Amino acid sequence: MPRFLKDFLNRNGTGPGLVMLGLVLFWTVGLIILPQLSMLDFSFRPNLPPPEMGGPKDVYTLENYKYLVYGPEGGSQAYNAVDLMVFFRTLVAAVCVTVFNLVLCYPIAYYLGQTKGNHIRVLALMLIIPYWINEILRAFALRIIFGETGVLNTILTGAGLFDTPFDFIRNDYALYAGLGYAYILLMIFPIYNVIESLDHNQIEAARDLGAPWWRIHWRVVIPYAKPGISSGCTMVFMLSAGALAAPQILGGPSSLWFTQLIYQQFNDSSDWPQGAAYAVVLLVTCVLLVLGAMRLFKVNMGDIGK
Amino acid sequence: MNTSLIRVSVWIYLAIFFAYLLGPLVIMSATAFNSPAFPSATPWECLTFDWFSALFQDARILNGIKNSLIIGAGTVVLSVLMGLAGALLLTQIWPKLRATYYTIIIAPILIPGVVLGISTLVFWDRVNRMLGLGPDSALSSGLFLTVIGQSTFIASYCMLVLVARLQRYDVALTEAALDLGATHAQAFRKVLLPFMRPAIASSAVLAFLASFENYNTTTFTFGEYPTLTIELAQKVRYGISPAISSLAFIIVVLTVFAALANEALIRRRELVAAARRKATVAELTGGLKLPGFLSGNTAAVLLVVMGIGTVVVLGTAATYRPDQCIADVREQKRLEAEKRAEELRARRDAERKEKTTAEPAAPAPSAGAGNNSGSFGNVFNPGTLQDGATTPAPDAQGSTGSGGNSGFGGVFDPNALQGSGN
Repeated sequence: MPRFLKDFLNRNGTGPGLVMLGLVLFWTVGLIILPQLSMLDFSFRPNLPPPEMGGPKDVYTLENYKYLVYGPEGGSQAYNAVDLMVFFRTLVAAVCVTVFNLVLCYPIAYYLGQTKGNHIRVLALMLIIPYWINEILRAFALRIIFGETGVLNTILTGAGLFDTPFDFIRNDYALYAGLGYAYILLMIFPIYNVIESLDHNQIEAARDLGAPWWRIHWRVVIPYAKPGISSGCTMVFMLSAGALAAPQILGGPSSLWFTQLIYQQFNDSSDWPQGAAYAVVLLVTCVLLVLGAMRLFKVNMGDIGK
Repeated sequence: MNTSLIRVSVWIYLAIFFAYLLGPLVIMSATAFNSPAFPSATPWECLTFDWFSALFQDARILNGIKNSLIIGAGTVVLSVLMGLAGALLLTQIWPKLRATYYTIIIAPILIPGVVLGISTLVFWDRVNRMLGLGPDSALSSGLFLTVIGQSTFIASYCMLVLVARLQRYDVALTEAALDLGATHAQAFRKVLLPFMRPAIASSAVLAFLASFENYNTTTFTFGEYPTLTIELAQKVRYGISPAISSLAFIIVVLTVFAALANEALIRRRELVAAARRKATVAELTGGLKLPGFLSGNTAAVLLVVMGIGTVVVLGTAATYRPDQCIADVREQKRLEAEKRAEELRARRDAERKEKTTAEPAAPAPSAGAGNNSGSFGNVFNPGTLQDGATTPAPDAQGSTGSGGNSGFGGVFDPNALQGSGN
């Protein structure tokens, strides 16, 4: 028995120690690592009916990944333009949602973190309450507002800005508003946590030395809040790129989100390996983008998730 | 100099921000009490409580709530246990392994829920096949898969909450217990667990909420056991109704209640502690008079006000009957529709007269012909009127009332009336 294992069991007692190790192993290996590897493995296999699985036809193939790039074999087009478009649109839109949320939330997080007073507790409470409401119901609320006979259109046509109701849903404005709305809190809290610990004297000092307000933020607050900003952005980006409910409810009928393609492959065309391949592509691309952005802005991995 | 300007703009920004945050919920709640079958806050027609009874008669929603509760309980147990074990191990693990280990257990938070659902489904399907079990075994049941899939990432949330508390734990306490002759199990149960209890409670609440509202993972794993969220998503995607708004309203009210109760309790504890600190020795021995529950406690006052408000609303709902109002609105709509139809008919008559005078030699078309050149038979044929493409002349006039389809079919569409701003 290795030494550290013996130490561990000594320190915690044999019974509790073994239970603890068992739980952690079940979680890390059984729930996290093996399923991901299994999905990766699955994505390289052809779509076979269950009896043929493990048979002679069950060989590794790149077919599923090729499908994303080139489309069905013998198809009329050189590339799978539809799916690729959806993929890039999803990524670009997720980046836009992240930036929008950052711009929207940074002032609020700064205000909450640096202001003292009783009303801050009230504001924090008002921030948390919407987050406790079901994701589906929040999307539904926005759909009521953005619908063709919804509140927004009634107001806008009533005010004479538009003659005919504007279709927010078909033009995807509802979707972007919904995605931004869904993840506001995940952007605010990490930034707020960091800014709250910033000594107000530093801001005072910068002000005394004659820095204008924007330079105080640029040179003092933002560098200090970088870990919070990066974890907020990472969370919002990953969640909006992987969102499924908001695009299903708020998305226009003609435009799809990449997760919807995955969903269709699993539920409608029951091509699991294809869906798994798309999921792997989504996961890997998002992780690479996040890592790239972290290198670009010189953020350490250890700062994320704090 | 411009501090007041800054202050005003801060308040304006806050107002816009919170309007974006809370406005949709308020409007959605309002639609639960409005009578049109399509959820809308404007135009306001009749106050009604029918959508609540429609909600409680919906068997699928009730079944979804039942499944959500079962799955939530399973997820809470599993993820709090795994999160606690993970947190304890994190404080003890060999330092060289710590970074890797931390990355692994924090990763599920960042992996998209869709990917987690798929990997769970694929993996356990394979395990199931390897063990030679059929498609109806426990390992492929929706309940099991959903609990497992959700726990994968919810355990990470629990771990974060528990680690934050565990970092303030003094290991010397456990050592003291062991020195005094406690076994490891006793030290764990009687020293560490009581210390961790608040964090365990809050992580359990967090886990339950996260499980209850999860959609992305569950949508791949639920199988025969759709949760409330899944049922809601199905309903919202294929035709929405104010009954959903009423469910949302109930959830909003419960949330606000819970938040206010929590606030009131915290404030109450602070007040009691402050009173104890200020009290003299005589007061402490002779029975301290504690401040009343409502004094100096805004949250408690609001809580009581909300409670009274709820009772009043429930009382009204039990006696209130909106039938008269609904009948009135229906009558009004019918009159308006008739008026509109009348106008349409008049205009079409005029048009027809013009046409017959302009081209008197127009041949009478056969009854089935699609093209209309002013014959009576075609104008009053509802099929022709609804088919906008083949009847250009009436379509141009009919579209004043409705958006898409024209003629009488469009006039009786309630949405068309709402769109025209009455």
